[in-house]
Amino acid sequence: MERRKFLNLGLVAAAAVLAPMTNLYAVNFRETKPDAWKAEKSPEAIKAMFGDAPLKKTDKIKFVAPKLAENGGSIPITLKTDLDIETIALFQDANPRAATVVFSVPEGQKVDYSFRIKMRQTALVTIVAKAKDGTLYTTGKEIDVSIGGCGG
Amino acid sequence: MGKMKIKAKEKGGVVKVKAMFTSVMADKEEAEKKKIKPEFFTYIVAKANGKVVFDATTSGFMSENPLLKFSFTGAKKGDELEFTLTDNNGKVTTGKKKIK
Repeated sequence: MERRKFLNLGLVAAAAVLAPMTNLYAVNFRETKPDAWKAEKSPEAIKAMFGDAPLKKTDKIKFVAPKLAENGGSIPITLKTDLDIETIALFQDANPRAATVVFSVPEGQKVDYSFRIKMRQTALVTIVAKAKDGTLYTTGKEIDVSIGGCGG
Repeated sequence: MGKMKIKAKEKGGVVKVKAMFTSVMADKEEAEKKKIKPEFFTYIVAKANGKVVFDATTSGFMSENPLLKFSFTGAKKGDELEFTLTDNNGKVTTGKKKIK
């Protein structure tokens, strides 16, 4: 009995080790997590993408974005961290759907990404990053958008 | 669509990449407003020496003509960086650039 239990444990452990290994390179999250791209609000999208695990607030992820974006069509965002991250995603509540971009960080590479996003209105932008050890880190910021472009 | 500009420069083992792609990046709602077909990249991958160095699943909420900046390690001057872009209509575009 003990031995059987032990063997089962071994199998589970092997599966747990193998599963992430197959995911190391090139994950198209639109295929693997289709629900996350349909969710309208960030919390639902995060849940669909990363599961129910608790999110840990962190200041170790550098999230650079303007406080006030005059042009909602092009908001520069920079994400940078030295943590060992596997997946890092950006969600916002301004558009019809929350999921905006998900980076799957290749083995041995660090998070250092700059890109631009669109936002229809002022809203909270949430970053969720999954570390190699499974911990979910989060950080966020509200970005003011003045679509009129008058800076008000 | 289809045009892309890639710049890749190696310094001290780190390759800095700037890439710009041409696409309206219009999701369903925006496309309806502009009376065009939805068109946006869904998946962007960059490879160097056969290894994936950049991997992003994107949506129509990225800005028009997306500009990406990132850095990676594991390649040197003269190596080739290859981008593969897939859009929502299933169209695949590729582009290559030598690392300077």
